[in-house]
Amino acid sequence: MRIWKSLGQRRGELQPPADEFPEALPVGESVRQVTRRDFFRWSGLGFAVGLASGCDSKKAHKAMALIQGQEGFTPGVDAWYATTCRGCSAGCGILAKSRDGRAIKLEGNPDHPVGRGALCAVGQAQLRDLYDGERLKGPRIDGSGPGGSAARDCDWAWLDRDLEKAFAEVESRGGRVRVLSNTLTSPTLRAAVGRFLEGFAEGRLVQYDPISTSAIRLAYERTHGVSLMPAFHLEQARFILGVEADFMGTWINPAGFGRAYASGRTPDGKEGMSRHVQVESGMSLTGSNADSRVRIAPMETPAFMEHLAFEVERHVGLNPAARILPLDPKLSRKAEELAQELGAHAGQSLVLCGFNDLHAQIFTARINRALGNEGRTLDLAKPSLQRQGDDAALDSLLREMAEGRVDALLVLEANPAFEVPGFEQSARKVPLRIGLGLHDDETAALCTHLAPDHHPLETWRDGEPLAGTWNLHQPLLNPLFQTRDAAESLAQWAGRPATAQDQVKTRWQAEVFPKAGGLSFGDFWHGVVERGFAVVAIEAPPPPYREDRARTHSEWTARAFLKAADHQLLLYTKVSNLEGRHAHNPWLQELPDPITKITWDNYAQLSPGTAEDLKLQQGDVVRLRHPGLPDLVLPVVVQPGLHGRTVAVALGYGRAKGGKHGTGVGTNAFLWVTMGALRGYQGLPVELSPTPQRTELACTQDHHAMEGRELVREMGFAAYAKDPAAARPHEHSGALPSLYAGHPKGKHQWAMVIDLSKCSGCSACVISCQAENNIPTVGRDEVRRKREMHWMRLDRYYTGSEEEPGVVHQPMLCQQCGNAPCENVCPVVATVHSDEGLNQQVYNRCVGTRYCANNCPYKTRRFNWFEYGHSDPVERLALNPDVTVRSRGVMEKCSFCIQRIQHTKAQAKNEGRELRDGECQTACQQSCPGMAILFGDLNDPGSEISRAMTDPKRYLVLGELGVMPAVNYLTKIRNGEVPGEAAPHAGGPHA
Amino acid sequence: MPDAAASSVDPALIQGHKTYSQVTEEVFAPTEQAPSKAWIIAVLCTGSLMALGAWAVTQTLTTGIGTWGLNKTVGWAFDITNFVFWVGIGHAGTLISAILYLFRQHWRTSINRAAEAMTIFAVMCAGLFPLIHMGRPWVAHWALPLPNTRGPLWVNFRSPLLWDVFAISTYFIISAVFWYIGLLPDLATMRDRAAGGLRKAALSVFSLGWNGSNHTWRRYESLYGLLAGLATPLVVSVHTIVSMDFATSVIPGWHATLFPPYFVVGAVFSGFAMVLCLMVVARKLMGFEEYITLSHLDAMCKVVLTTGSIVALAYATEFFTAWYSVNPFERYVFLNRAMGPYKWAFWTMVSCNVVTPQFFWFEKIRRSPLLVFILCIFVNIGMWFERFVIIVTSLHRDYLPSSWVIYRPTFIEVATLLGSFGLFLTLFLVFCRVLPMIAASEVKGVLKHGDH
Repeated sequence: MRIWKSLGQRRGELQPPADEFPEALPVGESVRQVTRRDFFRWSGLGFAVGLASGCDSKKAHKAMALIQGQEGFTPGVDAWYATTCRGCSAGCGILAKSRDGRAIKLEGNPDHPVGRGALCAVGQAQLRDLYDGERLKGPRIDGSGPGGSAARDCDWAWLDRDLEKAFAEVESRGGRVRVLSNTLTSPTLRAAVGRFLEGFAEGRLVQYDPISTSAIRLAYERTHGVSLMPAFHLEQARFILGVEADFMGTWINPAGFGRAYASGRTPDGKEGMSRHVQVESGMSLTGSNADSRVRIAPMETPAFMEHLAFEVERHVGLNPAARILPLDPKLSRKAEELAQELGAHAGQSLVLCGFNDLHAQIFTARINRALGNEGRTLDLAKPSLQRQGDDAALDSLLREMAEGRVDALLVLEANPAFEVPGFEQSARKVPLRIGLGLHDDETAALCTHLAPDHHPLETWRDGEPLAGTWNLHQPLLNPLFQTRDAAESLAQWAGRPATAQDQVKTRWQAEVFPKAGGLSFGDFWHGVVERGFAVVAIEAPPPPYREDRARTHSEWTARAFLKAADHQLLLYTKVSNLEGRHAHNPWLQELPDPITKITWDNYAQLSPGTAEDLKLQQGDVVRLRHPGLPDLVLPVVVQPGLHGRTVAVALGYGRAKGGKHGTGVGTNAFLWVTMGALRGYQGLPVELSPTPQRTELACTQDHHAMEGRELVREMGFAAYAKDPAAARPHEHSGALPSLYAGHPKGKHQWAMVIDLSKCSGCSACVISCQAENNIPTVGRDEVRRKREMHWMRLDRYYTGSEEEPGVVHQPMLCQQCGNAPCENVCPVVATVHSDEGLNQQVYNRCVGTRYCANNCPYKTRRFNWFEYGHSDPVERLALNPDVTVRSRGVMEKCSFCIQRIQHTKAQAKNEGRELRDGECQTACQQSCPGMAILFGDLNDPGSEISRAMTDPKRYLVLGELGVMPAVNYLTKIRNGEVPGEAAPHAGGPHA
Repeated sequence: MPDAAASSVDPALIQGHKTYSQVTEEVFAPTEQAPSKAWIIAVLCTGSLMALGAWAVTQTLTTGIGTWGLNKTVGWAFDITNFVFWVGIGHAGTLISAILYLFRQHWRTSINRAAEAMTIFAVMCAGLFPLIHMGRPWVAHWALPLPNTRGPLWVNFRSPLLWDVFAISTYFIISAVFWYIGLLPDLATMRDRAAGGLRKAALSVFSLGWNGSNHTWRRYESLYGLLAGLATPLVVSVHTIVSMDFATSVIPGWHATLFPPYFVVGAVFSGFAMVLCLMVVARKLMGFEEYITLSHLDAMCKVVLTTGSIVALAYATEFFTAWYSVNPFERYVFLNRAMGPYKWAFWTMVSCNVVTPQFFWFEKIRRSPLLVFILCIFVNIGMWFERFVIIVTSLHRDYLPSSWVIYRPTFIEVATLLGSFGLFLTLFLVFCRVLPMIAASEVKGVLKHGDH
């Protein structure tokens, strides 16, 4: 069939064009290749990709109204959980406040035997730790093994599968698996580790502590035949001798020790005041509280302890062997004096030594035994399990790893890549490295597999800090990230999966419940969950003393000591940062060191004399050298009270991977810790060479003398005991004439009394206040500009000479003046007086003239210089919903925790009763280990505060200004000499 | 009346045997000609400074007061220093125009217009600082007692800052009205000389229908006298109230009953020095040497000498009081001023404010425009430092040594200060061009009538 279109065509007159519909269009190649359909295809794909990438991987995006209530959960009402702090290995019991499913405040559990209701700054800051947006958010596998490409996130099933294969390989190679951790106080976790290691031919758990107290355990092994660390009962001691042990600052259990210590520091008690002497080479928080301080060079401690042990044993009638090591005659005399004093307090004294040296610790054990302190002030029957680290084991692990004799390494609750010099090189020889830490830290960077643990506030765990004292950790909220409890991970890998809660419960059912007794485990468990801990009896008698003295003697005589150099290193830890584990926590980074008042950095402390000899000034950068060690370059801090030979450097700084707040802050001094059977932290000879650089340290207090002003009153105990009325200051009493009528008086009149004898300066109150009141951190530069925001600060002054200064700490907060200078100067009435005696700052009325801050004699007001960040969605979960977050340009200050006052008032009203005395506690008061802060209602004549107001020691800071502060202080009583006591009221103006 | 005699006996008030028309021609010439090159360059310079200041203020407003060097202890520094400085500068204008008017000091006629303009511009600069120093300037109106819907919120009448708000706004309003009323006859002259068009129309409006009649003059004179009477107490009250920002506080170094007279005298001192600086330059640039004569400079220098000496006495009194009080805080503040970390500021202040004016004992120096200019610049520097010393040295080490700090200004603060000078000088330069810098009508009143 022929198709024709026209007659002409049909007749052949017109030929159809050869290619009427040519295949090729007369356009460029490229266009021809992309057809219309292609275009749709590609754009459709693009649309889909855009859609997909715009999606969030998070599952839950629903906000659901709580139509059906849950049992025991009322929106907006606090729930309190008794759990345990894991800021360090001390294991203090805490009560955690939870609101609407999120933890918002941690406080000490008053019933708990370890912390006794105190919670230190680090403990308080665990809240910020929980809401750290930089925590590891899920499991991770290193791309291609050692030194391989970037790590990639995966899911737990993938990780477990990958590890299953890896463990099979390990087993085939010989199954030499090591678990490395800091002290594991959790019996459940230890059991999980044990079960996991059972699966391998040769598995072992190695524990170490970044700040080792291994020597104590070793010493007791030698003297009593048992490797243990005694539990110390400072509350039983009338005389405490601390030797290089910062037991109120950082050593073992600072919060609990602090509270126990303070209980004996009551000058009005029947038994009088306990006495505390500190022998130290640095200037520690504990030393700053001592009634008497003895300065000693870092390397002199073992010799000093030998002399002291000799003198004490002689004093109590034992017949010690002669002394071997020579000692500075002054120190030798001091040892004699101390032996006398110790002898006078036999059975009521306690010697604590923090030097990680076997012989020093053996001498300490001998002294405590000779004085009959065992069973009284230190308990060997129920020893402390807070530090179980074994330096020798760590050392041999490093050797094993370096020699390639370890097939797999698990790191648990530790950051050895930062804390242990030489760890990184050795660990790289281990083919399989698994990290179970929470943070993307130095160790995580080294691991082939990361299986991040939950934060302690997100999971079930237990702990046994003291033998017989069992702690419970319980979760306050669902895990924020895709993490998994370490015990669950270990159980999974051991092939016996079990939830953390089940594991804990099983263990308690097996180990605690039978000893604790009770009708049913259900009831028992219920009680434990409510109280947060259980105490079980330990029947075993304490080990008897059975030292092989001849062995000690021969070792001691044969011992080679480091050369007593002119400059000796002292590596210490700061109250705020401990061993660096909390470097990512800005609250702690910005907490001023209680002694130096420096934030955000570490530095080399030198005594004023040494600094002068070397022509160094505060802020000069100095280079510390020791052959074979990398140089440490640090700014100088001139520290009064330091021994002339001491060069003190804080550990825990210079984190290479410490998060946005911790990375690069300070210099890592862990490299200078000497490894071996016992790790050494002090005595290393140091050469100092100045550099031309200078840095400005972020210090919150630049001036250290009281300038003859009577801001902190101090008095010797002897004088006070003779005549307590002598402490009464000659103060202007009664109201001053005023043009204005007084403020109306309401039902309550709030006031505070701060007992300076009990304040150790530990700064727990500062962080407690920060957590309670949503106080922002401002960063190192802003602190350099003197713009830290803390509402509560600790003023620290030195008295006496530069070489042997007295130190006083004074908590300083808004004094809630009855005749407040800040109130009358505000043009817009943004700061007003309440009828309950509070000076209230109205943030949304404030226009920010700063006149009030200028006119505040105490300088306790803080201005929002910028809009301080509360924008991080994870970090902002830490905000207390009861307290307004302040915006840029407004003034803020201590409110006496008005939200807590209102809360207790509402509670009392709901219950139809009057407010009880002591019911209402400020955050600073609640956290204070020394219980130095008393808060209450002056209108209640029976209240403790009303009684405290009649204390002869009570005085007002700057009371002579007539501002009528509501915060009162009690004169600091020192059980010893007080510098300049001849004129106790010197310097105060007598109007 | 003594004034009749006074006006006729001083032959040197205006030099050059001017006739009325000569005065008119010469005084109004700058407002009617194209600007000179020198003027344009000057405006470019001051305008740049102003732009720098505008940038700095923008930084402050967008980022926060944190861009300044203030801290937890020192809450005011450059901001309030600049404020007090500029308020002080303003005082000379009011003193010259009001008090000297009431005392019939006829030599004031050739300088009062410019001095008053200076007052207004200085107060404008001053007013800027309390505004921008606020943490939240967008709610600055809360400091005004405005009826509002924010509940019973009202201002705090006990606060010296509120007194400031009243004092400064009153001062600005009275000064501006006084100045404007004084301008009326000259505005009318300008209107009459204007060729027409917009200029004439605008000047017709602003001269308020001035017709030069006897009635007009009579009303004008009585109003002017009344305003002078109103402005006179302001010379004393404004700086008294400003001083109370400090005097009513509890901060040692601030808390002093001496402050009101001390501040007022200091203000006149700095104000006259500033007038002298401006006049020495302006008379040269604008060719007004015959109107603003060496005798004028001489008379003003005497005021500077007198007030400077009183200021020196005030410094000495402060130190004496501190010693005599036996108050350790007070004593420390003054020792710290003279010997502490800000001693350089203190000694700058003392050398500029105590030593410099003593040169004016010499007539030769009083009559040398160059020396007068240099010395008066020093006085102005000294007076700025006086306020800096009072504010910063008192705050940085007050009661608790734990909070003692050092304050260091940032570039933003320096730029804001420079910017305020830029604003002040630009306004002044514009004023010189668009309005008669010399009160022609008043000058004509003091010409010697017998000469023509």
